Amino acid sequence: MPVDEKRVKLRLENISQSYVVNNKVFDAVSNISLDVYDNEFLVILGPGHCGKSVLLNIIGGLEKPVEGSKYLDGEKLTGSDKRIGMVFQKLALMPWKTVMSNVEFGLQMASVEKTKRREIAQQYIDLVGLKGFEKSYPSQLSGGMKQRVGIARAYTNNPEILLMDEPFGQLDAQTRYAMQEEIQRVWYQQKRTIIFVTNNIEEAVYLGDRIVLLSKCPASVKQIYNIDLPRPRDTIEPKFLAIRKEISDNTDLAL
Amino acid sequence: MEKIVIQQGIVLSESEKKEIRQNRIYKILPVVSIILLSALWLFASKEVLGFPSPAETWERFTQLLEKPIKALSLWGHIFVSLQRVFLALVLSWIIGISFGILLGWSEKCNALFGPVFTAFRAVPPLALIPLITIWFGTGEGPKVLLVFIGALMPVVVNTQAGMRNVNKLYLDVGTIFNATDRQKLFQIAIPSALDAIFAGVRTSASAAWMVVLAAEMLGAKAGVGFLIIRGMDSGDEALVLLSMICIGIVGAMLAVATQIAEGVLCPWTRKGSN
Repeated sequence: MPVDEKRVKLRLENISQSYVVNNKVFDAVSNISLDVYDNEFLVILGPGHCGKSVLLNIIGGLEKPVEGSKYLDGEKLTGSDKRIGMVFQKLALMPWKTVMSNVEFGLQMASVEKTKRREIAQQYIDLVGLKGFEKSYPSQLSGGMKQRVGIARAYTNNPEILLMDEPFGQLDAQTRYAMQEEIQRVWYQQKRTIIFVTNNIEEAVYLGDRIVLLSKCPASVKQIYNIDLPRPRDTIEPKFLAIRKEISDNTDLAL
Repeated sequence: MEKIVIQQGIVLSESEKKEIRQNRIYKILPVVSIILLSALWLFASKEVLGFPSPAETWERFTQLLEKPIKALSLWGHIFVSLQRVFLALVLSWIIGISFGILLGWSEKCNALFGPVFTAFRAVPPLALIPLITIWFGTGEGPKVLLVFIGALMPVVVNTQAGMRNVNKLYLDVGTIFNATDRQKLFQIAIPSALDAIFAGVRTSASAAWMVVLAAEMLGAKAGVGFLIIRGMDSGDEALVLLSMICIGIVGAMLAVATQIAEGVLCPWTRKGSN
């Protein structure tokens, strides 16, 4: 799809965020403006512990920026919105709920009637390959399976934009590769706008339609890369490696 | 987790045999302590004057089943004590959990009641016996009230702590799904505080059992605490010892019962079940 045909789904304008830590002002995000297109897989890449999650939390409405505004389909948003879903970095599955109850949680909050929400939740449990584990508790699942529950939970509410905050950061390398393929498969089957935060360059190039490279603290947009490689991508192909190196050379070191 | 079934006729490796031996030790050790205690008891009853032997205690036990004290058998007295405990516990759970949720969830309520409650909590329930006796006498009501106060404190303190420590991450999930404050309270905060609340419930059960005995010892016509005092007044050491054993066994059963209740009501705390 040529760039001019792309429809802007989410617009960020001059977003800045700072905190007061030990009586000193600490700038986390500095003046970020960004357009996110409909149904694209956008990766936000940046050095560790700086601004990425903050930016995602602002988009999701978990924190309010000190400056700037966000627009969804041209409409200004202030807090959280049910059209924006999130897969959390630290899983955030509720240990007292079964897989089924965790996945249907969003629908329950939206007061969807029980049989209806069971039906929808079951679809997404099947989609992420957790059929048969509906009655298990999170403590009985492996790390990869837990993250699948988190993904299903976010999808179940049928959000138009899905935020993913380093969802695979705590998985071992093998599981991580498997989950990267998985998330791509799910995205193909159920097209959404995805904003995916990571500090892993290979993961970014493997998944992203576009990569927004952030600078070190305070985070600002350093460069945006369009990744035109065909999917599924081959991580050892020369073109892939060239892009990976280019981004790597341009990345600020984390403190 | 699947249970490992050891099939017959299968050759076990050395390490497996060692593991089985070690598991056996954990089954034997509790029995060892009971045997040791019994031996010590037997020895003490022979050496110390006025220390009833196991046989004498057992005799007292069978005698008490046939010859009631104040028209109640041993079971009757235990039942009277338990009745007081249960009534007080149910009241303390209903009021304590509600109050604890209020204190833990609302900053304003915490600021309003917190300091007074903290000071009041430091007064042991036994110190309230004189005032309660002066005001309300020694009937059934004052005893239940005393046990209620003793059981209330741990429930409120634990519930409050559980509600204060709700993981912000779970509340964030609620925010993302546009949950109302009411939904966050009932669907996220309270369920996530349930294990802390149950810790309070467990403590309250053992506290209630202790307070009821103390209350009964200071003036009652029935109950296990009454039996102990009756034994003391009539120089019946076997009755005192028998009552103590009953107190221990019933207390342990209460603890096990609350633990089982927790497993049933909060199945996720049973790690690795299924």
